[in-house]
Amino acid sequence: MAEENAQQQSYGGGGGGPRPSGLGGGPGGRPGGPAKRGKRNFVRKKKVCRFCVDKADFIDYKKAEILAPFIQERGKILPRRMTGTCARHQRWLTVAIKRAQNIALLPFAAEL
Amino acid sequence: MEERLYDLIFICRPDTPEADIDKIIATLEHAATEKGGKIDSVNKWGRKRMAYRVQKLREGYFVYMVVRSSHGEVVKELERRLKVADAVIKYLTVRLDEELKRQDKLKRHRERRAARRPRKTAPPAPAMPGAEQAAAPTA
Repeated sequence: MAEENAQQQSYGGGGGGPRPSGLGGGPGGRPGGPAKRGKRNFVRKKKVCRFCVDKADFIDYKKAEILAPFIQERGKILPRRMTGTCARHQRWLTVAIKRAQNIALLPFAAEL
Repeated sequence: MEERLYDLIFICRPDTPEADIDKIIATLEHAATEKGGKIDSVNKWGRKRMAYRVQKLREGYFVYMVVRSSHGEVVKELERRLKVADAVIKYLTVRLDEELKRQDKLKRHRERRAARRPRKTAPPAPAMPGAEQAAAPTA
């Protein structure tokens, strides 16, 4: 028992030893990061606001087909982080979608 | 009061005969002129599928019109008539002039910017058709 304890203690002490090497070699340490990043490195496509591309000054609520891509299947309005729409156009877009919903051009919620 | 522009859309029951729809439009036009307003254009979109059921109906006959008026009485009267009409199942009035004003402002702003800083890569010409297109159905 005493021997085992001593061994564990010694291992514990030894554990301090490998640690510096871990920091240096990089099984997950910060310096190891850049080497590992290659795996995670996927290119996120830069989303561009569709309305800015078209230079839209006005989003027409009557054109349900241009509003449709910005709502979910269930009828929710998609957030900006999903669609890449700029703040100003998202603001106009939500108004347009809500108007279209009011006149039954777009659904409030998906029907069962 | 300055003149205001409105979009007015109403939906009739799909089984309404064309003549009845024309009659509704005629009464609306009459009511608008009586109150000192004007109906600029009437556009029948025809039978369309609605996004959700209204009064247990899945389809409706859409009519779109642009109303011009200088006081709210006109819209009030038109909406009252639409509410009373049995064939009409849904209607919506949207005030447009402020948005058109904003649109104009942005357009002018861009034109001015394009004039100030002429760029080789981005000629100002292609920017305009899109804006005009957006303006076209409302004008």
